[in-house]
Amino acid sequence: MFFSFETWHITLFSISVGFASALLILPFGIALAWLFARKEWPLKSVVETIVLLPLVMPPVSTGLILLKIFGRRSPLGQWLYERGIEIVFNWKGVLIAMSVMSFPLLVRSVRTSFAEVNPRLEQIAATLGASPLRIFFVVTIPLAYKGIVAGALLAFSRALGEFGATILLAGNIPGRTQTLSLAIYNYVQLGKDAEAYTLLGITVALAFLFVWTSEWLLRAGRKL
Amino acid sequence: MRLCCRIPLAGFDLDIDAAFDARVTAVFGPSGSGKTTLLDAIAGLRPIAAGEIECGGRMLFSSARKIALPPRRRHIGYVPQEGALFPHLSVRRNILFGAGRDARSPAASAIHLDHVCEVLEIAPLLARPVSEISGGEAQRVALARAILSRPQLLLLDEPLAALDVGLKEKILPYLARVRDEFAIPMIYVTHNVTEVLALADWVLLLRAGRLVAQGPPQAALTSARAVRDAPEEQLENVFAATLIDSDRRAGRSRALLPGGAELFVPFTAGAPQSALHVGVSADDILLATRRPEGISAGNILPGMVTAIDLVDDQALVRVEAGGEFCARVTAGAVSRLSLAAGAPVFLVIKTRSFRLL
Repeated sequence: MFFSFETWHITLFSISVGFASALLILPFGIALAWLFARKEWPLKSVVETIVLLPLVMPPVSTGLILLKIFGRRSPLGQWLYERGIEIVFNWKGVLIAMSVMSFPLLVRSVRTSFAEVNPRLEQIAATLGASPLRIFFVVTIPLAYKGIVAGALLAFSRALGEFGATILLAGNIPGRTQTLSLAIYNYVQLGKDAEAYTLLGITVALAFLFVWTSEWLLRAGRKL
Repeated sequence: MRLCCRIPLAGFDLDIDAAFDARVTAVFGPSGSGKTTLLDAIAGLRPIAAGEIECGGRMLFSSARKIALPPRRRHIGYVPQEGALFPHLSVRRNILFGAGRDARSPAASAIHLDHVCEVLEIAPLLARPVSEISGGEAQRVALARAILSRPQLLLLDEPLAALDVGLKEKILPYLARVRDEFAIPMIYVTHNVTEVLALADWVLLLRAGRLVAQGPPQAALTSARAVRDAPEEQLENVFAATLIDSDRRAGRSRALLPGGAELFVPFTAGAPQSALHVGVSADDILLATRRPEGISAGNILPGMVTAIDLVDDQALVRVEAGGEFCARVTAGAVSRLSLAAGAPVFLVIKTRSFRLL
């Protein structure tokens, strides 16, 4: 099976938590992108900026903020701890870090695809008696679905590449919170070049696959 | 139907106050006069600053009484200019999109998919994706979709504007069939005179957001006010006529007006007794006080002047000659011929000046 157990474990852990994070943010991302693309509301530009912040801020800074929010000494962390939920230094921390870091990419991509849906079609659907919910699911989503899938793929690949925020919030614990990126860093530090290159190959292959698919979807989407 | 609304637009306010009760009401005016805006406002797709919209006894909007029904509760079928078919659905699913509404209402039983498809001749298209039909077909599909939502009012936004001339001639009869088959009042927006006259029985004449004139088509479009407002605009006479016979070699057909006039019009291959619309510009009608002789014009119609409207240096001479004609001549011609209401007159019209619509 080519790879060692450890390599398999790291790869599968990264992919499954990355996938879970993409699934987790998808409904929120779609809802928010729709609000950005179709509605005007007070403080919209402020919210837009906040959502985009993780895209431009140093990931380590974002990680530090998350650590302050979810750490056991914060009110939220305390409240969660009392209910037996601990975020920091386990896979849930990885999930949160990945989700927060990839959220802006998802929102931007989905927002663009919503904006490309002709609002006239939604208006006409309304005159035909369709409820806002039916318009959303029968007209808007199907017309934007390629952008949504592409955005989700993009978010997924960004999640796989996450490093700075993850290492602060979840640490770099082999077998518990170690993702592909963290493991590569670890192996290089330890001088285990062969293991590092194996993981490097896996990340390149995955990234290529996702970006290529998402670009292909976006191009096909525009032709529609 | 009562329309009374004020809508602020970029360059001007759209300000309308009209009450009418017609099968087909045409909203006529040049581009940019606020026609589409008006339709959007009726459908509830655009905010109205103040006013009331009432349709068939139902109040759709009233700023005073704080009523503003959302578009989906207005029961208005809207066929926008570009058709706006859902590109991801088949023709059939497009047509049935609004068909679930009021499926048990009395109106529903009168409107069936099969019937609508038959009237609009779109049954062969049903299984196709929307991307594989032509522009004219798309318009008919959009029309079918609106009709099958069983609306109490149909709004048509220049359904012919996006089509080339050849297709236009083919879709006009469909619109007339929709008017006659389904008892749904229509409001029809256009900047094309012949469409107005061929379909409508009431006209709202709009310019830069204001209602310039309203009334039966011929009267509204040739009203002195309309002419004063746009002296350069074409003035058209259009008549519903019956074909009598055709002579291909002579290049002409004979048509009978309901008022009794017999006209020579350019050759058409239609069957005798079939209905057709013919039009002639008010500028292409000559007036003569004596019957002219030795002249190539095919139509010399004796009649009587019923009214003369002077608009600046133009004169609109209305003549009853087995049909209500309006001829536009110079004010000088009226005084030279001593024309006045009640005077006998001959209308001289070239066969080829008539257009078949």
